[in-house]
Amino acid sequence: MGLTRRQFLKWSGATGVGAVVFAGCTVPEAEIRVQSPLLLPEDLVTGRDNFYATTFQDGTSSEGLLVRVMGGRAKKIEGNPDFPLNTGKHGIRSEALLQALYHPDRITGPFIRDQKGGTLRSITWPEALARLAEILKDADPASVLMATAPVRGQLAAVTSRFAAAYGAEHLGFDPLGNTVLRKTMVDLYGQEALPDFDLAKTNYLLNFGADFLGTWVAPTHFMRGYGEFRQGEKRSGRRGHFVHVEPRMSTTAASADDWIYVNPGSEGLLAMSMAYVIIKNGLGNADAATALTGGRGAAALDRYEPSKVSAEIGITGNHGADRIEQLALAFAAPENRPALAIGGGGAAAHTNGLFNMKAIYSLNFLVDSVHQPGGLIFNPSRLVTQIPAAPLRTWSATVERMRAGAISVLLVRDANLVYALPGSLKAEDALRNVGAIVSFSSFADETTAIADLILPGHTPLEEWGSDTPDPGPGYATIGLQQPVANPFSNTMAFGDVLLATAKELGLEGDLPWENMREAVQDFMRGIHAADRGSVSGGTFAEFWHVALQRGGWWDDKNLVISDQARPPQLPIVPETPELKGDAKDYPFYLVPFESQSLGAGQHAHLPWLQATPDPMTTIAWQTWVEVNPRVAKEMGIRNDDVVVVESGTGETIEAIVYENPATPHTVVAVPFGQGHAQSSRYAANRGFNAFQLVGTLEEKETGALAWAANRARLAKTTKRVSTAKYEGSVPAYELPDDKIIHITRPE
Amino acid sequence: MLKVGAPLIGLAIAVVLVVAAIFLFKTWWGTPPTALGFSVLNLGEGPTQPIAFPHTVHVQDAGLDCQFCHRTVSTEEAAGIPAVQQCLFCHDLGRIDGSSFDANGNKVPGTESPEIAKIRNAFYGNPDTGDGPAPIDWVRVHRMPDHVQFVHSPHIQAGFSCSTCHGDVASMVKVKQVQDLKMNQCVDCHRQNNAPTDCATCHY
Repeated sequence: MGLTRRQFLKWSGATGVGAVVFAGCTVPEAEIRVQSPLLLPEDLVTGRDNFYATTFQDGTSSEGLLVRVMGGRAKKIEGNPDFPLNTGKHGIRSEALLQALYHPDRITGPFIRDQKGGTLRSITWPEALARLAEILKDADPASVLMATAPVRGQLAAVTSRFAAAYGAEHLGFDPLGNTVLRKTMVDLYGQEALPDFDLAKTNYLLNFGADFLGTWVAPTHFMRGYGEFRQGEKRSGRRGHFVHVEPRMSTTAASADDWIYVNPGSEGLLAMSMAYVIIKNGLGNADAATALTGGRGAAALDRYEPSKVSAEIGITGNHGADRIEQLALAFAAPENRPALAIGGGGAAAHTNGLFNMKAIYSLNFLVDSVHQPGGLIFNPSRLVTQIPAAPLRTWSATVERMRAGAISVLLVRDANLVYALPGSLKAEDALRNVGAIVSFSSFADETTAIADLILPGHTPLEEWGSDTPDPGPGYATIGLQQPVANPFSNTMAFGDVLLATAKELGLEGDLPWENMREAVQDFMRGIHAADRGSVSGGTFAEFWHVALQRGGWWDDKNLVISDQARPPQLPIVPETPELKGDAKDYPFYLVPFESQSLGAGQHAHLPWLQATPDPMTTIAWQTWVEVNPRVAKEMGIRNDDVVVVESGTGETIEAIVYENPATPHTVVAVPFGQGHAQSSRYAANRGFNAFQLVGTLEEKETGALAWAANRARLAKTTKRVSTAKYEGSVPAYELPDDKIIHITRPE
Repeated sequence: MLKVGAPLIGLAIAVVLVVAAIFLFKTWWGTPPTALGFSVLNLGEGPTQPIAFPHTVHVQDAGLDCQFCHRTVSTEEAAGIPAVQQCLFCHDLGRIDGSSFDANGNKVPGTESPEIAKIRNAFYGNPDTGDGPAPIDWVRVHRMPDHVQFVHSPHIQAGFSCSTCHGDVASMVKVKQVQDLKMNQCVDCHRQNNAPTDCATCHY
């Protein structure tokens, strides 16, 4: 049989394909390349790793860090064992700072928008700085607003001095800020600085709503204390007892010995009822009881008798009142001293938040835990000014001023107003009426995306700074922040931009420093002159070197000496929480909560944090709604169904159902953090923004955002989404010698 | 049953054998080319680099030590490729470069080389084309398979000379691989020097 033309073609084709296949077996092109980088890494000479100490301020918390650097590149972050607040441990948000440094969607240099709504054009730094100076020269200082995340340390000194010298208003923005907590500390204890909690020595911890092991105030610091509280070697075998009061099963609730459900906003009522029981039984400090009741004794608090309030609190059943009574007696029992009551989070985020918080923290007077070992420990007054978060009341008024065109220039750094102000404020529309928005953020978040001029700042690993933690560990503490790597992009530190601009505007009399490094050094000269604390003596150069090496300076031998503050009188009539939406139309309490990894959304651009499973549900990358399984069954919904969550404001988001037997049937819980339209490829168009659901109700006295004061209802959709979660990916086995402990009542 | 003619089967076998032969040649005897003892299809030469960097000039004439550029060879896994900036230690303006004259106004040798101009263009950007600064992508000459971990530092610290494996690079205008660096060579040398020969020494 001869070879036909057709067969010849067929076989030559096959041979060609074979040749391609085998050529594919050789080494890929990328592996044949070996690259000469452009610049010499500064410390590659020895090829060894270097560790640099620095500090990271994340909202209220402050963590001292050691960063491993090789070849000029930051490689790994660990806690600084010397730093008093985190003593060698660190949180996931610190760990993920590396990803901010190397992020593919960082703003790579200054940009300008020639006209509103136009496209961004890349410019040089001299041009950008000149443009900023020009904008500020042309504007009326009274119509200029600086909005930043709450700042401390020398950056706070520089920003506040800049704002004051220029004449602009400066507001801190933190959607879940601690305004109510701060006000409570001032009103009850006369303390400007937040106190530390001496968890390590406490025997009985009573916590109302504060997720202090997850997100609240300074979780890494509190976890160190909590570890000691539970199994510390110095405790002579006595394990601390922990009772947690919260409407949702949070990470902290899951760690408690007793988790007590209360209706959202009634935490203060429970605390008052406990105070009544303690005073009535004569268990508390008699002087404190007299002061708290205005000398009238338990009779003054009659209104809070357990049987009268247990239903309102939500501790129901035949023995609801007994339960409150037992709790109060246990808390005040002499054998359980030192006992400590703390509160925050959702308990403060109601219209009666200050009432709640004052009631909670007043309990400490009764058990002698104010500025005592095992109780609250006061911190020294602040070393530097700090810019706390302004309350919603201020922000609402400011947004209205923007809408009216009364703000000509907005300077914004890490304050994502468009994303995190309550949806009903329509902040984005208002911001479009601002003459010029200048953003100093490192990432194109929703607010930066509508900016007219972008001067991107360094990430925390690239800049100089200092932090004076608030709360501190009970003594004066300074964390030093130094660049651990050269700037990775064409960015400039926010503080340096302000100092350069001050010079341009002729304000150098108030801001005499060349750059942030000098500003920090100048501040540390004062500390050196005091000649005490963890680093002291020597020349300033020596002092500076050693302080940088250790990550800061602290004065642990000088504790605060303070008289026991005199307790104010407790209110005779309770304040009831107001909720958006009525119970008939909106059957559930909406309990939004801060995401342990993403915070209030400010960390959503970091993929490690996106991929970190929520500790309770194990869900990552998505927005879910926690629903009680019985409620889900009644509604005909199940895990992975998409539902519409509508809050009392009428605003809606979609979320994936997560059935959780620990979710009370009165509650639906949704995490903050997702639902970005911008903020990098890892955050954009993922999940939904729970701030949309939050109404504009304020805490009555402080004007803080009452983000927990909403009701909600759910509506079914036909959509289903496969949830990215860890749970259920590995089957559970019952080991022969290890019985599974059921924590919920069987059906 | 389908009947296939004998010539077709013969052709199929021939094709498979040829393809297999090409595969074997490329993957096993292809590197290093000298294993064959002769050069085929340019395979006996070292690869052409983006810049014709002559080791001869730098080592024999200028007297540089290998570690001057390959800085991490005694401390790390990779010997390291120098940064472009390091080339400019000598080849920057006013030194050995295209500016033609030194500080005293004397002509500097090696100036008009277009290869040196490439280095300056990589570092500063090319004014003619408008390209910005860019790293140089060299072509790798020595490459271990993915399942082999070779760490330079212990070998250098044990006192071995670079030329043991890399040959006399100092006299190579165009660097090529001279040893086949297959597993038998590794194991032989490890045995001769009482170095460990567990699998996990290199395969981990």
